[in-house]
Amino acid sequence: MEEKKVMTESESLALIADMIQRAKHTYYETGVGPILWGTVVSIASCMTYLQKEYHFSIGFDIWIIVLIAIIPQILISIREKRMHGVKKHEDDALNAVWVTYAISIFGLIIYQNIIPEATVQLNAQEGWVMMRHYTNLQHPDEMIRPFAPSIYSLFILLYAFPTLVTGIVKKFRPMLAGAGIAYVLFIVSCYTASKYDMLLGSVSAICCWLIPGIILRRKYLAQKSAAHV
Amino acid sequence: MFKELDPILHSQLRLAVMSLLIGVKEADFTFIREKTNATAGNLSVQVQKLKDAGYIEVTKQFKDNYPQTTCKITATGIEAFDAYVKALQQYLQAGSS
Repeated sequence: MEEKKVMTESESLALIADMIQRAKHTYYETGVGPILWGTVVSIASCMTYLQKEYHFSIGFDIWIIVLIAIIPQILISIREKRMHGVKKHEDDALNAVWVTYAISIFGLIIYQNIIPEATVQLNAQEGWVMMRHYTNLQHPDEMIRPFAPSIYSLFILLYAFPTLVTGIVKKFRPMLAGAGIAYVLFIVSCYTASKYDMLLGSVSAICCWLIPGIILRRKYLAQKSAAHV
Repeated sequence: MFKELDPILHSQLRLAVMSLLIGVKEADFTFIREKTNATAGNLSVQVQKLKDAGYIEVTKQFKDNYPQTTCKITATGIEAFDAYVKALQQYLQAGSS
């Protein structure tokens, strides 16, 4: 930018508007994070559904890939922080929302794993057990291990929350749409068997993160190539 | 009675820097240089003038063994920018009436 000796008032206002727009339309998120999580969660959910639907096992817990994905996410976060060059007012608040989301998901996983055993023990202390009773009397009653029914619906509900906040704050329509779809799928999942909830969760992850991530990535790359022209 | 336009802000590059910083929490020198298409030398001089006026805070640190200069608008800077825009509007309204 060459320094002009005299600027008119309208030139000053035009310059202010131009610079504000330049700062506003800077895409510094590379989209890699949402693509990573959208892919990992959708694959894990879909594979869980397939195993339940077609009665086979891949020999390990597919959700382990979600834990493994934390490592590249940390590296991505460090790299993006180095590259940014700019910090917007909403960044800290959005980071806090996503950290809270991660803690809540972790809490829900703990709940899902602890509740069955804890319920058995609490029931045993009170001297009763949960039984499955067949109303057609063709099978004998059997003891059942307590479980949190249709818990994946709650995961879908949680997927929508940070996505909606990010969509509103960043005015990013793909995330707004993704969150909207996830809320609808959450309601649908309340009426479906748990194996289908997995399929709905997979679609939610694709809509909330994978598709917005790809859109973000394309915008980021377009901006980057425009800067090098 | 027209308010006099702030001479610190009524300069193309300094105004561009302030307009960029008003919309973000903080930005580093490279980002500002890319967005304003200014030369590093000229930008350094103008950033220093804004700093001397108390309109921006400049933090210099080392990040991964490279020097990094981060700029952030101050409360004084926000007030001055606001007053400058209001004065501009006054001039433009007077011109159009």
